Amino acid sequence: MQVLTFLLKRFGWMIITVWIVFTISFFLMRQIPGGPLNGERVLSEAVRARLEARYNLDAPISEQYFSHLWNTVQLDFGPSFKLQDYTVNEVLAQGFPVSVALGILGMVFAITIGMTSGVISAVRRNSAYDYSFMLMATLGIAIPNFVLAAMLIVIFVFNLQMFPAAGWGDLSQIILPAFCLGAPFAGYIARLTRTGMLEVLSNDYIRTAYAKGLSPRTVVLKHGLRGALLPVVSYLGPAIAGILTGSLVLERIFVIPGMGSHFIEAAIQRDYTLAMGALLTYTVLLFVMNTLVDLAYSIIDPRVKLE
Amino acid sequence: MVPVLRKYFPALLMLLAVISVVWAINLGTLPPADFVFNNGTEVKTIDPAKATGVPEGRVINALYEGLLRSVPDGEPDDLGRTPTKPKPVAMSDSYSVSEDGSVYNFHIRENATWTNGDPVTAEDFAWSWMRFLHPETASEYNYQLFYVNNAKKFALVELEEGDPVEVELKDRPVQGQMFPRGTIRRGQLLEIIQAAAEDDHSEDDGHGHGGSGGGGPAIYVVEFQSSDQHSEVHVYTTVDSDDDEIQSLVQSYQGETDLTKLQSVEHVLFDFDYVGIKALSTHQFEVSLNSPTPYFTELAAFYPLHPVHRGSLEKHGDREFTKPEFIVSNGPFVLRERRIRDRLRLVKNDRYWNAENVSLNSIDVLAIQSETTSLNMFLNGQLDWDTKPPNTLIPILKERDEWVSTPFLAVYFYRINTSKPPLDNPLVRQALNMAIDKQSIVDNIVKGGQVPARSLVPPGMNGHQSGYCGEYNPQEAQRLLAEAGFPNGKGLPTIEILYNTLDSHRDIAEVIQQDWKKNLGINVSLRNLEWGTYLDTLRIGDYMVSRSGWIGDYADPNTFLDMWVTDGPNNQTKWSNSFFDEGIEKAKYESDPTERMEIFRQIEQKLMDEQPIIPIYFYVSTNMVNTRIKGFTANLQDVHPLHLLSIEPEGSE
Amino acid sequence: MSISDHKQTELERLSAILQEAHEVQGVSLWADAWKRLKRNKAAMFSLWSLIAIVLLAVFTPLLPLQSPIYQDVKNRELLPPQMESYSLGIKEYDQETERLQSEAQTHAEGSTEREALMAEVDARVQKHPIQLYWNDPGFISNGMISLRLMIFGDFCIPSLFGTDKLGRDVLSRVFWGSRVSLACGFIATFVSLLIGVSYGAISGYLGGWVDNLMMRLVDVFYSIPFIFIVIFIMSFLSGPDVRGVLNEYGVGQIHVFFLLIGAIYWLTMARVVRGQVISLKNEQFIEAAKTIGATRMQIVFRHLVPNVMGIVIVYLTLTIPAVIRFEAFLSFLGMGVQAPDISWGLLVNEGVQVITIIKSYWWMIAFSGLALAVTLFALNFLGDGVRDALDPKLKNK
Repeated sequence: MQVLTFLLKRFGWMIITVWIVFTISFFLMRQIPGGPLNGERVLSEAVRARLEARYNLDAPISEQYFSHLWNTVQLDFGPSFKLQDYTVNEVLAQGFPVSVALGILGMVFAITIGMTSGVISAVRRNSAYDYSFMLMATLGIAIPNFVLAAMLIVIFVFNLQMFPAAGWGDLSQIILPAFCLGAPFAGYIARLTRTGMLEVLSNDYIRTAYAKGLSPRTVVLKHGLRGALLPVVSYLGPAIAGILTGSLVLERIFVIPGMGSHFIEAAIQRDYTLAMGALLTYTVLLFVMNTLVDLAYSIIDPRVKLE
Repeated sequence: MVPVLRKYFPALLMLLAVISVVWAINLGTLPPADFVFNNGTEVKTIDPAKATGVPEGRVINALYEGLLRSVPDGEPDDLGRTPTKPKPVAMSDSYSVSEDGSVYNFHIRENATWTNGDPVTAEDFAWSWMRFLHPETASEYNYQLFYVNNAKKFALVELEEGDPVEVELKDRPVQGQMFPRGTIRRGQLLEIIQAAAEDDHSEDDGHGHGGSGGGGPAIYVVEFQSSDQHSEVHVYTTVDSDDDEIQSLVQSYQGETDLTKLQSVEHVLFDFDYVGIKALSTHQFEVSLNSPTPYFTELAAFYPLHPVHRGSLEKHGDREFTKPEFIVSNGPFVLRERRIRDRLRLVKNDRYWNAENVSLNSIDVLAIQSETTSLNMFLNGQLDWDTKPPNTLIPILKERDEWVSTPFLAVYFYRINTSKPPLDNPLVRQALNMAIDKQSIVDNIVKGGQVPARSLVPPGMNGHQSGYCGEYNPQEAQRLLAEAGFPNGKGLPTIEILYNTLDSHRDIAEVIQQDWKKNLGINVSLRNLEWGTYLDTLRIGDYMVSRSGWIGDYADPNTFLDMWVTDGPNNQTKWSNSFFDEGIEKAKYESDPTERMEIFRQIEQKLMDEQPIIPIYFYVSTNMVNTRIKGFTANLQDVHPLHLLSIEPEGSE
Repeated sequence: MSISDHKQTELERLSAILQEAHEVQGVSLWADAWKRLKRNKAAMFSLWSLIAIVLLAVFTPLLPLQSPIYQDVKNRELLPPQMESYSLGIKEYDQETERLQSEAQTHAEGSTEREALMAEVDARVQKHPIQLYWNDPGFISNGMISLRLMIFGDFCIPSLFGTDKLGRDVLSRVFWGSRVSLACGFIATFVSLLIGVSYGAISGYLGGWVDNLMMRLVDVFYSIPFIFIVIFIMSFLSGPDVRGVLNEYGVGQIHVFFLLIGAIYWLTMARVVRGQVISLKNEQFIEAAKTIGATRMQIVFRHLVPNVMGIVIVYLTLTIPAVIRFEAFLSFLGMGVQAPDISWGLLVNEGVQVITIIKSYWWMIAFSGLALAVTLFALNFLGDGVRDALDPKLKNK
C-alpha cells in the first residue's frame, strides 16, 4: 500500500515534469530560427504553404500547442520532419533499444569493475593495489569520456586492431563505447565501495565472524559487500542520468544509431517533433530510473522509508 | 515480501544484469554485405518524388529506375574523366525526339517489371509524374518538369477562366491519405470568384486545403459537359464552405451563377489530361515540352522522376509504402532492411530486366557523418567506398591505389550580399575576389587537386566557354579598393563571412579572413551557423558574405546560371541585371547549340564582371574505393551506379 | 558557605572558563581545515599545480608565445613538435616602415615620390602584422601584449607542441584555450553559487509551503535532461535576431554560454544549503539576530549564509571540474565555444579529427587532451582534499 501511494505520488510529479519540459521546449523550438522545412533548395511559396499545412505549422501557435499536447498525451509524436519515411514513434522505437543496450552494458562495466577494484582496495588497504586502483578511479572520474574514447581508439583500434573503428551490430562494436561510457562511473563506484567496505569491516560483527572461524573470503563477500552495496545503490540514480548524457557524445564518436544520435541530429536539423519526442522520452526515463532507485534503496535498507 | 526481496536483492540484481546483457548483445546482427559504402548522412526519404540531395540520389537510383539512366559512356577525356550520358538502358529501351526537339516519345521496355511481378507501363510513369507535380505532394524539385506543357499550371494551380479543370471531390477512400484520390470530375472553369487581392491576406494563404495560388480562398464555377449536349454547372471551393471569407464572398457576389449549392472539395486543379504527359499505350510514353530543352534527356534520368508503384502506394499510404516490408520498386536492387542513422541493406532484385548483369548481391549503405571515422572504417576494411576523406589526409591518400578522383560539375563559391554597402560597389567585390589566394586554398586546405575557380561554370561542360574574373593579384585588388574609395581598407566596416558548420568551411573562411586582412587591411569576422539556420539567414539576406556551393543537376551551363536571375529563389545576393535575365530567357528558346553557348558565355562573363559571387574552386570527387571493386569509373558528374560495380574474385590480381 | 562566597567561586569559575575559551579560540574552522589540507600531499600538489595553471592562463598574453590565430598554411602546416625558433617579424617590419618614412622625408614636400612613399608607409601602418596575430584582445590583454613585445621583442617559444592544419602554433593555442576553459569553469560556478545559495537559503529559512514548493521544483528540475535544453538554447542563441539583440548590449554568445551552464548547475548546491540552513535556523544566534530586529533577508544573507560556507566550498570543488568538463563536452559536439575563440574542448575535437590509422597527428590531441586531463585531475584531487579537510565525515560521499 505504502509502495502504491509512493508510486502514485511520483507518477503525479512525473506528469508535471513532463508537462513543464514539453512547454519549455515547445516554445523554445518555435523561437529557433530556421524552420524544419528548410532544404538545400529554396521552396516556392506554394510548396512551402503545402508543407506547412501538412505538418500543421500554419495554425496559430496556441492551437499548435494544444493539438501537439493532446497528441503527446496519446503518445503520438507525429511524423518526423526530416526522416520523412518515419513517424517519431518509429524512430524512437528503433533508437531506444540501442541506447538502452549501450547504457546497460556501460552500467554493468561500471558496477563490476568499480566494485571489484573497490573491494580489493578495501581489503588490501594502503597496498600498491589500493593506490593504483584509487589513482585510476580518480583518472576515470576526471578525464572526459571523449578524450578516453580517443585514447582507446588509438590503442585498441589502430595499434592492436582488436576492435572495429565504429558502427553498431555485433558484440565487438559494443565493447569500446560501453567501456568508455562506464569508466567515470566505475571510478565513483570503486571509491564508494572502498569507503563503504572499510566502514563495514571495522564493525564488531565482522570481528565476530572472523572469530567464528569463517574464511576471510566469506566474511568479505557475504558481510562486507552487503554493507558496501548501500552507497552504490544510492549512487545509481545520478549514474543513470550521467550515462544518458554521456552516451550522447559516445554515440557520435562510435557512430551508434541510438537516441542520442537522433536527438542531436533532430535538434541540429530542427526536426521539432523528433527532438521533442526524444527529450520527453529521456525525461520519463530519468524519472522512472530515479523512482526505481528509491524503491531499491528502501528494499535493501530497512531504515529508509518511502515518502 | 520486502524482507525476502531484501535477502535476495544482490542475487536479483545480478540476474537482472545478466539478462539485460544477454538481451543487449543479441540486438540483431546482419550477415555482412558484399559491398559497404558510406553515404555521408541519413537519407531523408527514399520516395523519389520527395527526395532532394546527393545521398538520396544514390539510394533511389539503386532502388528505382527512370526512363533513362545517366551512365559513364565513351572515352575518358584528357583529365581521365569518362563523360556521363543519359541512355535508354533503363525502363525505356529507345526513344525518339520530334524534329523541333519539343516532343519526346519513350518506348517502355517490354520486360520491365516491378518487384512484385507487375509490368512497368507508360501509365505508371504518367501517374508517377502526376503525383510528382501534384501540389499536395509538394515536391521540392517539381520545377524540373515545368518545361513540360502546362505542367506549371497544374503544379502551381495557376488557373484562368476557360481552362480545363479537374475537380477532386471529398470522398477519398482512405481518410487523411492522398492516394487513392477521391472522385475526379473534369470540366471547364467558367469563373473564379475571389476577393480582390489584398496584401494582408498573405498569412492566411496556404491555409488548409486551398487550391488557389494566392489571394485568399476562391469559389470556382465549373461547367461539366455530359454526353448529350447538356451541360451542368457546379460551384466549388477548396476550403470549408462555411468559412468566413467564403461566406462574405458569397454575400458580396453579384454575378448570375447560383452560389447556394456551394460544395467543398479537395482540389480544383488544371486538368492533368491537358498536361504534356501522356501514356499513348502500355509501352508508349510521350512528353511534350514548351520549348526545345536540350538537356531534357538528363531530366528523364533524374531520380525525382523515377516511377513509384501505384498499387502499393495507394494501399499503404505515401509514407508507409517506402518501408522495407511494403516497398515495390523497379530498380536493380530492393530494400531489405533499414535501420535509421545506421544502414540500409539493399539486395539484388532478381526481377530486374538486366539482372544477369548486376553483380553485387547485397549492399550496405551507411550514414556516417564524421569524415575521420568513415576513413578509419575504410582503412580498417569495414567500408569499400568512402566518398569524402578528411582534407588533411588527402596528400597521403592520393598515393594509394584506392584513390579515385576527378574534377566534376560542382563549384565552391562565396555569395556577396549586394544590398549591403560597401558591398554594393562592384569594385569592392572585385577587390575581394582578387585578394583571395585561391591556389593556396586549393593546395593547402582542400588538397584534393581541386581547380582554383576563375568562373562559375566548371570547365568540361559541353561546348561552353567559361567566363573569367581575374587571378590572385593583391596589388590590383588594393588599387580597385582605393578606386572604390577605401584606400588600404580605410573606412570599410568589418566584413562578416557566414558559413555553415563544417570544419573545412571554417578553415577556408579563416584563410580568406587572413588574406583580406593582410592584402586589403579589411577586418573580417566569422560567423558559423548550422545548416538549417544558415539557410534561413541566407534567405532573409541577413549576411554580408556567405560560403556556398552548387552541384550541377545536369551537364549544361544553365544549371549554374539560371539561378542568378533577378529575385530567383536561389539567387539570394539581391543582384539584378537585365542583360543577364534576358540572356537566360533567350537561351531557353534558342535551338542552335552554338548560339546558345554563346549566350551563356556572354551572360556568365557579365556575372563575373559584376561579381555578386566569388568563385573559389571547382570540386573534385574524392573517392576511396577498395581495389577489389571493379567498374568504378571517374566521371563528370561523380555518379557511380551501384549496379555497374562488381567484385574482383579473390586472388585474381 | 555564604551566598557571596558562592558568588565569588562562581565568578572565578566562569572567568577561568572564559580564559580557557580565549586560549582555545586560536584555531578557527578554516585554520584547522587548512592545517589538515596541508598534510594531504596529493591535494597540496594539486593546489600548487592549479595555481600555476591559473596564473599561466591569466598571464598568457605576457608570455613570449606565437600567435594563436596566425596561419601559415604554406610553410608550417601540421609540423610535429620542434625546437626551431620562430620570430614574430615585427621588428623587421617596423624597421622597414621607418626606413620608408625617413626616405620619404628626403623628398621635397608635395613631390609625387614623397606622396607615394607616405602612402606606402600609411598602408604598412594600417596592415601592421600585430593585427593579424591576436583576435581583438581586450584592453588588459592588449596592455600585456604590448608589455610582452617590449620585453621579449620578436622572440617566440618554438612550436614545442607542433602546429595545426592551418599552420598555427598548438602551444599558444593550448594556452589561449585555457583562458576560455578556466573562465568558463569559474564564471559558471560562480553563477551556480549565487543561484544555489540564495535559492537554498531562502527555501530553508522560510520553510513551510514555500520551502515545499521550491524543493519540489528542484526535484522536477532534477529530472529534466538539461544537456538537451542547453543544446536547444545554444541553437536559439545562434539565430540572427537574438544575436543582434545580444550584440547591441555587447554580450557575446560565449558569455551567455557561461551563464547558461551556471544556471543549470545549482540544483545540488540549493539542496545542500537548504539542509544546512534548516539545521541552523533554530540556533541561538539567529534568535539573537531576530531580537535585535534584523529583517528576514538580513538574517538569511548576513547570518545564515556565512555559516554554510564550509559545505558550499566543498560543493564548489565538485562543481568547477564538472562545469569545465561540460564546456569541453559541448564544444566537442560543436555547440559550445565558436571560432575564433579557442577552448580545450574545441582543440580536442580538432585533434580527434586527425587521428587515423595511416597517420596520426598525435600532437594535435595529446597536448590539449593532457592539459584538460591534468587540470581536471588536479581539481578532483584538490576537491577530495578540501572535503576531507573541512568535513572528515563527508569523505567520498
